[in-house]
Amino acid sequence: MSDVLQRRGLLIGVGSAILLVAVLWITDQEQSIVIGVVTGSAYGLVALGLVLIYKSSGVFNFAQGEFGSVAVCTLYLLHTSGVPYGVAVVGALVAGALFGFLTERIVIRPLFDAPRVIVLVATAGVALLAIAFQQWLFDNQGRPISRAFPTLDRVTVLRVQISDQRLWLIGTLVVLAVVLGLFFTRTNLGLAIIGASQEPTATELVGISVRRLSTFTWVLAALLGALAAVIAVPDTGSFTPGIMTSGYLIPAFTAAVLGGMTSLPGAFLGGVLIGIVQSVATNAEIFQDIPGTPSTLIVFLVLLAVLVVRPQGLLGRSA
Amino acid sequence: MSVVAPDRAVAPVAPAASQPFRPSLAGWLARGLAWAALACLVLILPLGRPGTDLRLYAIAACYAIVALSLNVLLGYVGQISLGHAAFVGIGAFTSAYLVTVQGQSFWVGVLAATAIGAGQALVLGGVSLRIRGLYFALITLSYGLVAEQNIFQIQEFTGGGAGQSAPKPAWFESEWRYYYLCLAFLALVLFVDWRMMRTKGGRALLALRENPRVASTFGINVRLATLFAFGVSGAFAGMAGALIAHGDESVSADVWNFRLSLFFVTMTVVGGLRSRVGLVIGGSFFALLPYLIEKIPGFEDLLARVPGPVDLTPEYATLIIGPLLLLINLIRFPGGIGQQTRPLQRWMTGHRFDPHDRGLKEVQITDVRA
Repeated sequence: MSDVLQRRGLLIGVGSAILLVAVLWITDQEQSIVIGVVTGSAYGLVALGLVLIYKSSGVFNFAQGEFGSVAVCTLYLLHTSGVPYGVAVVGALVAGALFGFLTERIVIRPLFDAPRVIVLVATAGVALLAIAFQQWLFDNQGRPISRAFPTLDRVTVLRVQISDQRLWLIGTLVVLAVVLGLFFTRTNLGLAIIGASQEPTATELVGISVRRLSTFTWVLAALLGALAAVIAVPDTGSFTPGIMTSGYLIPAFTAAVLGGMTSLPGAFLGGVLIGIVQSVATNAEIFQDIPGTPSTLIVFLVLLAVLVVRPQGLLGRSA
Repeated sequence: MSVVAPDRAVAPVAPAASQPFRPSLAGWLARGLAWAALACLVLILPLGRPGTDLRLYAIAACYAIVALSLNVLLGYVGQISLGHAAFVGIGAFTSAYLVTVQGQSFWVGVLAATAIGAGQALVLGGVSLRIRGLYFALITLSYGLVAEQNIFQIQEFTGGGAGQSAPKPAWFESEWRYYYLCLAFLALVLFVDWRMMRTKGGRALLALRENPRVASTFGINVRLATLFAFGVSGAFAGMAGALIAHGDESVSADVWNFRLSLFFVTMTVVGGLRSRVGLVIGGSFFALLPYLIEKIPGFEDLLARVPGPVDLTPEYATLIIGPLLLLINLIRFPGGIGQQTRPLQRWMTGHRFDPHDRGLKEVQITDVRA
């Protein structure tokens, strides 16, 4: 029964994505399809991290965005001090993962038995602290950040112009999706994480340390957040302190809820969907009368609609 | 064996319980002096300060109301709002709009702000209760961003970049009268909160926080009780917003952001959940933190000497100190200021001074898994 429901959810998700892309295509806004898919993939990566932590610690991780912001700041600091871009990217990913490790060790582990709402407040505290340090470090100013491929050569695929930077990003994402899929279905470590998230007691009984896995899960989630930031932020050309929390965290949460909050493929699919929905909302003329930023309101309405109509999300098992 | 042991442990305590502790005459005098000093600090000393300081104190009283509002969610039902800046901000603009544009009186504005605050929280809470877990946090977070980027961009409602002006009510124009008015509202909120927790509904809330499933087997309507708490919290937040607006005499759209929401959560948790005294201290302490940093002689120079790319101004210091306190608090002292000052509170109300009395019964940690 739940398989049928899940398949229906998958159909709804993919179907609406195709429909929205078709709308953009017909209205001659092919460019925004690419933007939607690229930002959507970043939302998807952040959402993957959120779902991983939700499954292992049972908590919404409000520091997930800041894992990425720390990575972006490291990338900026390393690159401006003369380190080659590729090395700076690796340094940024390491910094993000390290931040995730420290968060788990210093803040999350002492609260292992605390109510979930207290752990949630703690993650929000970590985010607030990270943002405060960035504000101090950059004097609360935005900074320009250079792209990996500054030349902006364009390739035309089916009327759509894609810069080489974005082509690389999409390629990286495809490889990453395959690697993650294999990791969670074929390796012992991946299976152990899935097991611990579904049945922690039974996992302990077969001799796997759930606590050690918790550390690993947080590092992995932080790495995904850092990757999302390194992919998406330089593409926009600049960053501000706490950028991943202000710009990416809420769409990513909406994506995770849309995907079902416990489903990894669902989270990524949700992310891409939200990215495309934002593209439509930014460009469609019927939304131009909304004051301020129309896409914010649309994302909020999507979140409400999912919770009212289909609380289990597209690929979630049960509410 | 195990049956005998508790009796032995209880035996020496029993006579003390039959003879309640009464302070001596000197004890009563000391307590009276302490109360007088407190009253002097809150009621009389501020009158000697310049108007700009008094305005800050009035805002501090409003922040205490916000802390009490968040405490209803966080302390009583174990849910959390990460969009409280939106609730407070919409309350502020509602009152300012009604008074300035529609020409209504201040009291109508405050009432409307309170009602709208409750209404928003009820609608969002109703949606979030469709699914078990802390979804109210997610919805309010997203709603906070909508308020920031859509609702507060409506020119007519917020007055655009210049902000909406919000005059002080008649007879309360002077800063010190308005300060007393805010204190009166704070007292009202404290009273409502105190009475609420003594009713059937309040006890239902506490039972529900401990364990929703057990609570529902005792016939508590979990959804209704939680919604009730959302409504009360929203109402307090809207009222505080209106008071802040008229205290500042104008409201602008750019202050009600996500960071302010987290700041509200910080002051609530550091103040101490379920401790009214702690919440009031926490709320007003954080509201006055930049001011206090400026007042402590030499502290600003000390901050400026911290190595960094730019000077550590009181503003940045506040941003960093807040979350640091929050994390230390959560990990080391879960009861917050309320728990740490509890011996003093007990002494002030005529009990023995017992430095080990931390009221630990009240911060029992039970895992309500989301």
